[in-house]
Amino acid sequence: MTANHASTNRAEMDVTIRAEGLHKTYGRGSAATPVLRGIDLQVRRGQCVYLAGPSGSGKTTLLSIIGGILSADRGEVCVLGEDLATLAPKQRARLRLNRLGFVFQRFHLIRGLTVLGNVRVPLTLQGVPESQARRRAMELLEAVGIPEKASARPEQLSGGQCQRVAFARALVSNPDIILADEPTASLDAANGQEVMRLLRGLTAEQGRTVVVVTHDQRIFHFADIVYWLENGEVVSSGKPDAVPHPAPVATDRGISQ
Amino acid sequence: MWSLALTTLLHDRGKLVTALVGVVFSIVLVNTQGGLFLGFVMRASLLVDHSRADIWVGHKHMHNVDFPSDIPRRWLSRIRGLPEVRRADPYLVGWADMALPSGGYESVVVVGVDPGSLLGNVWNVQDGTPEAILQNDAIIIDRCEVEKLEGIRLGEVREIGGRRARVVGMSEGIIGFLVAPYVFTTYDRAAAYTRKPADRCSYFLVKLEPDADPRQACAAIRHRLPDAEAMPTAEYARTSLDFWMTRTGLGISFGAATLLGLLVGMVMVSQTLYAMVLDRLGEFGTFKAIGAQESQIVTILLVQATTMTLFGTAIGLGVVSAIQYAFSTPRAPIIIPWWLSAGSFVLVLAICLASAYLPYMRIRKVDPLTVLQS
Repeated sequence: MTANHASTNRAEMDVTIRAEGLHKTYGRGSAATPVLRGIDLQVRRGQCVYLAGPSGSGKTTLLSIIGGILSADRGEVCVLGEDLATLAPKQRARLRLNRLGFVFQRFHLIRGLTVLGNVRVPLTLQGVPESQARRRAMELLEAVGIPEKASARPEQLSGGQCQRVAFARALVSNPDIILADEPTASLDAANGQEVMRLLRGLTAEQGRTVVVVTHDQRIFHFADIVYWLENGEVVSSGKPDAVPHPAPVATDRGISQ
Repeated sequence: MWSLALTTLLHDRGKLVTALVGVVFSIVLVNTQGGLFLGFVMRASLLVDHSRADIWVGHKHMHNVDFPSDIPRRWLSRIRGLPEVRRADPYLVGWADMALPSGGYESVVVVGVDPGSLLGNVWNVQDGTPEAILQNDAIIIDRCEVEKLEGIRLGEVREIGGRRARVVGMSEGIIGFLVAPYVFTTYDRAAAYTRKPADRCSYFLVKLEPDADPRQACAAIRHRLPDAEAMPTAEYARTSLDFWMTRTGLGISFGAATLLGLLVGMVMVSQTLYAMVLDRLGEFGTFKAIGAQESQIVTILLVQATTMTLFGTAIGLGVVSAIQYAFSTPRAPIIIPWWLSAGSFVLVLAICLASAYLPYMRIRKVDPLTVLQS
């Protein structure tokens, strides 16, 4: 094996997400709306990749397909070496539970559970013993800086604190990939910067891959690569400062196009 | 998974209480209705249940303890001749009129027992003793019939069938299925009150040798007396009970009322479960998005339904005990055997689990994608 071949293989092994020619259409017949039109994407281990673009550009749909929540109509998507099209719904759910961590735009914390209980949910679903799950969840709450809120209820937290809980929940089962959907959309600008700094800090040191769907261009500098989507296509990709995109409009809730 | 299910269940206390009320309502209804029903119908076999006999022998078509057909007393020797039989005595159940102080008459069911064995004699005697019927002209009646018999008292002398009868004791809670009061006395005196011919009786009550098999003994009696029927006591009690159940439609009436209440309770439970799930559809979507399996979602629902049933049953049975304590009387006894409570629990549990199916179908349709789109 030559040195070139070895480095190519290593690079391929480092690819945690690979999408080729992804197509997705919602609706049928005259109501059919194409959302993704031949998306190609490659994310390496440890990279922080942003999927950005205007509303309706297909960012969340792409994230859903990568997360195994939605299936593509055409094309191939491999996550952590698994071709998602060949996995049964049960297997995709298991992949999500064991190897992916989700952060949702509106946090989606469980109202009936305490902060600690919310962080423990993935471990509970994995069947991790209660004491072990509790210990691990407390570690994560300490990592996100709100251990004192362990017994609080979600409704007693601020938006920033809710997002920290969501991060802790996403990270608690040591996933290989974190998928975050507009993690700063419900936060003000300062909080947005802070939670992204926290997310990068928590993932970078363990070499986790992060895929973030966002509008917020003021957090672009946390990304390694930005994919700019428009009308279901990647119109540009590269380093944050090298990707051409419309100028952001600042609002009191963050950034909009 | 259990703690997750329970914690989320306890969060919505308002709906939880509503669902619990549904379960409690069903448990109370089934047990109280069932208890009243049992208390009522078990009167139909009261004489048989308390007879202390192993076998009842009567007419070939005997079907109800209170309505016997006469049988010849001479059969007795053939029964006594069987090796399994330790003792067999004639027993009489017949109708007569008791004269009332007002000048009227009240129909009574006279029960005549053998003075030697006292098999089938009165029980639960509060004033006097059961053996007091051996005294001259002695009868024992029930306290609950005092009003019907126009204030009859201990020691009072009345006429039954035109003959002298003296009250030597009073029992408590021996009220038959029929409206007529029971009057316990000795066999010969009962025959006189009811004007029964000396060579006829209603039944033979049989005590078996300790290791004898009642079914085999019954078969032997039937073999010796082809015109007689012999049944183990428990079987004749059931036969007497079935007579009223099947010929009056009583079981259907009580059953329908109980079922209706059960349905109301269960509709409350299933509606509340459904409403609770509807309220938390987003949370189930989150579980699915995180990677919960269908089986785990089902487990959450089943644990919640089972928990509600357990707590609801515990509270319901507490309420039932209070009702039983406060309202059960000898005239309207509420009899709640363990199997009725256990049966109601199993029934309510089954319905609760079935009612979890509806919300499950709703959850199945929840697309985890909605979590990412909201």
